[in-house]
Amino acid sequence: MSAPPASPLLSLEGVTKRFPGVVALDAVDLSVAAGRVHALVGENGAGKSTLLKIVAGADRPDAGRMSLRGRSVAFAAPREALAAGITVIYQELSLVPQLSAEANIYLGMEPARRGILDRASSLAGARSALESLGADFDATTPAGDLSVAQQQLVELARALARDAQLIAMDEPTAALSHLETGRLFEQIKRLCGRGIAVIFVSHRLEEVRRIADDVTVLRDGRRVFAGAAATVDEAGLIRHMVGRDVEYARLPAAAAPSDPPFLEVRGLTRHGHFGGVSFAVRQGEIVGLAGLVGAGRTEVARGIAGADRVDGGTMSLGGAPYRPTSPREAIARGVVYLPEDRKTQGLVLMMNVRENATLATLARFSVRGVIRRRAEREAAARQTAAVELRPPEIEREAGTLSGGNQQKVVLAKWLLADADLLIFDEPTRGVDVATKVELHRLVRSLADSGKAVLVISSELPEILALADRIVVMREGAVAGELPAEGATAERVLALALPASHAA
Amino acid sequence: MSAPRAARYGVPLALAGLVIVAGVLIPGFMSRANLTTILLHVSINGIIALGAVFVIITAGIDLSVGSIVGFAGVLTAATLTSSEVLRLLGPAGAAVLAGIVGIAVGTAVGLFNGGVVARLGVAPFIVTLATMTAARGAARLVTGGVPIGFPDPGDPQYRAKIAALDALHTVGGGRLPFPGLPTGFPVPALVMLGLVALGAFVLVRTRFGRHVYAVGGNEEASRLSGVAVGPVKLATYAISGACAGLAAVLLVGQLRSGGPDAGMLYELNAIAAAVIGGTSLFGGIGTAWGALTGALLIGVLNNGLDLLGVQSFWQEIAKGAIILLAVLFDVWMKRTDARRRSRTARATAAAKE
Repeated sequence: MSAPPASPLLSLEGVTKRFPGVVALDAVDLSVAAGRVHALVGENGAGKSTLLKIVAGADRPDAGRMSLRGRSVAFAAPREALAAGITVIYQELSLVPQLSAEANIYLGMEPARRGILDRASSLAGARSALESLGADFDATTPAGDLSVAQQQLVELARALARDAQLIAMDEPTAALSHLETGRLFEQIKRLCGRGIAVIFVSHRLEEVRRIADDVTVLRDGRRVFAGAAATVDEAGLIRHMVGRDVEYARLPAAAAPSDPPFLEVRGLTRHGHFGGVSFAVRQGEIVGLAGLVGAGRTEVARGIAGADRVDGGTMSLGGAPYRPTSPREAIARGVVYLPEDRKTQGLVLMMNVRENATLATLARFSVRGVIRRRAEREAAARQTAAVELRPPEIEREAGTLSGGNQQKVVLAKWLLADADLLIFDEPTRGVDVATKVELHRLVRSLADSGKAVLVISSELPEILALADRIVVMREGAVAGELPAEGATAERVLALALPASHAA
Repeated sequence: MSAPRAARYGVPLALAGLVIVAGVLIPGFMSRANLTTILLHVSINGIIALGAVFVIITAGIDLSVGSIVGFAGVLTAATLTSSEVLRLLGPAGAAVLAGIVGIAVGTAVGLFNGGVVARLGVAPFIVTLATMTAARGAARLVTGGVPIGFPDPGDPQYRAKIAALDALHTVGGGRLPFPGLPTGFPVPALVMLGLVALGAFVLVRTRFGRHVYAVGGNEEASRLSGVAVGPVKLATYAISGACAGLAAVLLVGQLRSGGPDAGMLYELNAIAAAVIGGTSLFGGIGTAWGALTGALLIGVLNNGLDLLGVQSFWQEIAKGAIILLAVLFDVWMKRTDARRRSRTARATAAAKE
């Protein structure tokens, strides 16, 4: 590890980015030096992805300055960042699967004479770039036939072909085996040896300690730590990631939950997504499903709600066997799912609040298929008032509402359905703090009225405030279960973080 | 309901403007006889466009309707002039049966389209392109390429067949006495208006109609809400097929014959009418009245240019321009809508800070 040079390659000062209802980045500083690996860590939603997007020119900051080699820059498009020597490799790799590795490497900058491709030179260039990265496949292989690790090498080769000075990688090791991770790290070190700066985003703290020279920790859009990796251990990183400043008042259950479990899940499995998942939810109880993004929580929830098929395991609901094959069937049994992405799964944005609120229960407001408009209007008005929709306009188009109000409309829809088990997937994502607290209160009052509630949240304070019991998932399996009493963010995170490969 | 405000009033306003301009500029345009002629000419396209609106609201497309008009038409004509049917049911009975056959054939093809789209998840464009080709071939196969209709003078059932053709003509080409209209009101136009009103009721007031919008607006959200997405899609294709079948029956009645090449390019006219009428090809947006106004706009344009003696080639170019304008309007509406949305979101966020 060399000493940091006097002036950084890339530096960000006071970079701020707001989205409706949230401040994704709040005056963040970042300084990346040439020839060094800079790790960026933080919980889900801490602002890492937003920061990468700004560096990549895919998003523009609302405030703050960015400079490259001491010169102030403002990228209006990814194209400009690429031209300036910055390449970001996203977790969902961006290769065209039908095209060869070579064609992918030169995509958008194909060497050509009068519009006719110069295959010989691009093939030679691609081969030498891949060779320098130790690739064991030919440049003519279609990208779709390559493993994830090999595809990453193609992305790296593309960065080299573009003469990148800075390469940012978003969770590059998430889908790699131990061996592949080791090989990737070798290549990263070799890139640094050539003076290239690398930003490395990972949830695996052990890897951060192993590869990074410098570390920046983000929490709730703010930089909470920056320094040499050698100066902080894993426990210290977790402490920084969790912090203490966002905390919601804990909402305890009004009464002890009924004893026999209402939903019981045993060994639930969906190949390639999760396996052997077991837990139970009782009536009057809120169970929190914690874990990192990609741990399989949403997939489990969708399996329970009949939205995805499951391959194995058994479920029982209210003592009777339960195995829904469609959301329709699940709803008929009183199980409803409030999806994480309201815009694509929860609402029909071009329909109004009333139409969305009654979508699942329209049969109740119709006689022989004809909607009784008055009954529908009354029900929609009553239920949207119950969830405190503001303003309470039921003829307003759902797409024009704020995130918190959209979530309230989804909630109103399922309250009308009078379900027994409600599954909330990230119920307060993109919702401002005041509305968050309101939604927490609504969820708790549902449980107090005897419903069984399952809440998925990536926000630890939310889980800690809301749940009576916390089931922590890690890489498609249940890593552990904690009672609400005595659960701390540190303990949940320690269970949620993937086991290091080196162990 | 679900259409943005400007899209709801834009096309009717354009139609009204066009009618006024044509009325001022073209002598004879505003005569009652001419206006009822426009309605008659529009009715076949209007009925098919109504079916198209159902399909397009679900973000689907039905290219097979023109071929259905041909195929259902030849079977209608064959039933109508079949010696056995005439012997059993007589001319009036044969006309009724022929009408049922035409609508049933259209519905059956529509059910097939919908079944493949909903069950197998094949792209609607491809499925209906296939049935479009196959139905046209079937129509030619059944007839040997020659229209079915007017009997040979030497036919032993000559009189009965003429009577049957006349019976169906009272529906397809007949006119009802109407005060102030010396020539009466064309029956097909009445059928179209009735169906559009029914279609509007179904779309706006029934559970099925709401589900049609929901499926087109957001299929996944609908599925998660327990909407039976497959059956809803299936039904819209059946409706589209049934409308095309009915159009075939009216056309056979009007022309007193069913030709295998009838209905060529009708699918595109219907889609054009739907789109001009504010139906979004992206799904989720559209109205039954839009199908009517779209078809009327095309009809008024054709009629006006006809009366002006404009070459039909120029009429096609004008129609193309109108379609393009309608789609551009749709895109423009979407953009201003998105802008309005992000403005509202920003304002809400700012208000909270």
